Amino acid sequence: MSRILCVDDEPAILRLLGVVLAADGHEAVAVADAKAAMAALNRGGIDAVLVDLGLPDRDGLELIAAIRTMATVPIIVVSARGEVEEKVAALDLGAADYVTKPFDGAELRARLRAALRQGRGADAGGELRHGPFRIAPDRHEAEVSGRIVALTPKEYALLQALVEAGGRVLTHAALLERVWGKAHRENVEYLRVAVRSLRLKVEADPSQPALIRNEPGIGYRLA
Amino acid sequence: MQREVVPYLLTLTGVAGIAGLTSAFLPVLGLASCALLFLLPVLYGATRGGLGPGLLAALAGAGAYNFFLLPPRFTFRVHQLDNLVGVFVLVAVALVTSRLATLLMTREAEAVERARASSEEAELSAVLSAGPAPAALATGIDWIERRHGSVRLLAEGAVPNTDAAFSSLDLSAAAWAQHNGDVTGHGTAVMAAADWTFLPLAPKSRRAGHVAALARPADGRVRGPAEMDHLARLAFLLGQCRDRQALEAARHERERLEAADHLRRTFLASLAHDFRTPLTVITGRLALLAQDSPEAHDALGAARLLDRMMTDLVEAARIEAGSLAPVIDAVDLVDAAGAALDAVGISPGIRVRRSIPADLPFVAADPVMLHHVLVNLIDNALRHATGSVDLTARQVDGMVMVRVIDDGPGIAQAERARVFARFVQLEGSDRVRGSGLGLAIVKGFVDAMGMTIRIDDNPPGGSCFVLTMPLAPESGG
Repeated sequence: MSRILCVDDEPAILRLLGVVLAADGHEAVAVADAKAAMAALNRGGIDAVLVDLGLPDRDGLELIAAIRTMATVPIIVVSARGEVEEKVAALDLGAADYVTKPFDGAELRARLRAALRQGRGADAGGELRHGPFRIAPDRHEAEVSGRIVALTPKEYALLQALVEAGGRVLTHAALLERVWGKAHRENVEYLRVAVRSLRLKVEADPSQPALIRNEPGIGYRLA
Repeated sequence: MQREVVPYLLTLTGVAGIAGLTSAFLPVLGLASCALLFLLPVLYGATRGGLGPGLLAALAGAGAYNFFLLPPRFTFRVHQLDNLVGVFVLVAVALVTSRLATLLMTREAEAVERARASSEEAELSAVLSAGPAPAALATGIDWIERRHGSVRLLAEGAVPNTDAAFSSLDLSAAAWAQHNGDVTGHGTAVMAAADWTFLPLAPKSRRAGHVAALARPADGRVRGPAEMDHLARLAFLLGQCRDRQALEAARHERERLEAADHLRRTFLASLAHDFRTPLTVITGRLALLAQDSPEAHDALGAARLLDRMMTDLVEAARIEAGSLAPVIDAVDLVDAAGAALDAVGISPGIRVRRSIPADLPFVAADPVMLHHVLVNLIDNALRHATGSVDLTARQVDGMVMVRVIDDGPGIAQAERARVFARFVQLEGSDRVRGSGLGLAIVKGFVDAMGMTIRIDDNPPGGSCFVLTMPLAPESGG
């Protein structure tokens, strides 16, 4: 149903990605380096990109930046590099999400679904939905499992950003910039305080949150 | 010796010449002019040979003036008083002139010596600053040896009592110079009978303790104060070069360590990368097969364990290499516990109870390291538990205590200190698979973040790990 460009220098991984993606009916377009990836994107017809950060001809982060200058297709990092800083860098460069090798096929497909939804833009009507959340931006109103909750402007802006991301991870810096402005990109504590107060209003048990999840050192996503 | 006599002889010749000239031309020149002419050899003698030849010229000139010119001529008798006054004036003028000339000469000689000394210092300075410090220092020592005699560098506290060149007096002088920072030994006021002169490599105020030993002059003379000052300055220049050498050596060592650390990190990262690529293929393929095959399911479990072991090994190596640099931030334990429980696969049949107050203050921790710590502790508890694992947190005296409790066999008091060592698996736990590194990593990360971990008694049985961490500083957010 979608054509997914897979960039990895390991043929066995490319074949595995082909099988995993086929389970959701996607077609995998396999390339082994950054140059071939750019050529495939130029030919068009690509709906999303899965990219490994360790490529033979160019750094994966550079490839992400290069793709971002020419296309808006969602990019998911599939990398063996475990370093948190690299994941954050990839996300801040415009990657939609990441999975770490060895990845779980179901998890990869779920991330891809969320990214593709995002790629297609908001549906008509202006109402945003994700899981039990429903947000009506024009009325400034948020609903959780059919129950309307009263939120402060900051909590509302935070929830709106997370719902818009639709299950994709948002980095601390991205959330802080969106809700508090560029000057507060570093103030992670603001975010933790706001997430805590938001959880008190939306989670069934705020001490065992099930809806708003934390990725240590990276950011937050909705379950 | 010969050089010292020559000015006297020349002076006397000059006096004789003037005497001949004036006695021949006395009627033409007159007495007063002739007397003035006798000052010429005085000036010559004083400027060439110093006070001695100047005095000789003055006395000989006065004698010749009296003998050859004053009437009655060719006797030493003087008839008129004014003629006697003339002789005395000539002697006085000659004495003063020779004294002044000598003084001027000494001043000039000093100025020349100072200029020579400072150009020598500039030259040595240029030699010492050219090229890398160790080679420059050797060239500099060689340069001084060619001009001033043998040089040895004595390091602080290392008096070379095995070196036959130094007598016991020399060794005492060396120790004095090292200890007090004075120039000692030959040519100085301190232990002047020594054969070597010992020059500190740094001014007294710095008390560096390193000293240059300089052999006494081969011609047997004793160095004067000006020369000694000059040599002391040359020794300071050597000292500066030695300091530069020490700084360069320290910088090289630091660069070498950084390069080694970088190599190790790169190696670890690429090792992990190289392992994970085939593991991804293995686990990915097995996951597809495991849907219908219990054997593939077992293999998948084994492959996942392999991945965990690999992660543990890389983290243990990072701790071992001392390359952990925690980034401390305010962390919500509700977040941290949630992420850790998401990350560990909870076996069916084991109940995990979580009790973390939603209003617990934030703690000061590196979020990524704390995540690994909690994952490893929970994973360890799950592997030993028979029915349940408890994860609790509460605030106690300005700290937060996290407890991870299982209902397994527990850890005997005697074994508790040992479990945080690497590759320790306690007896009777063979069936419980792990890398043997999980708790060592916990300890390494906990130490790096400035937290503490201990094992407490757990009355119902099972083990109880207690992690104590500081609160995050309050901020106006």
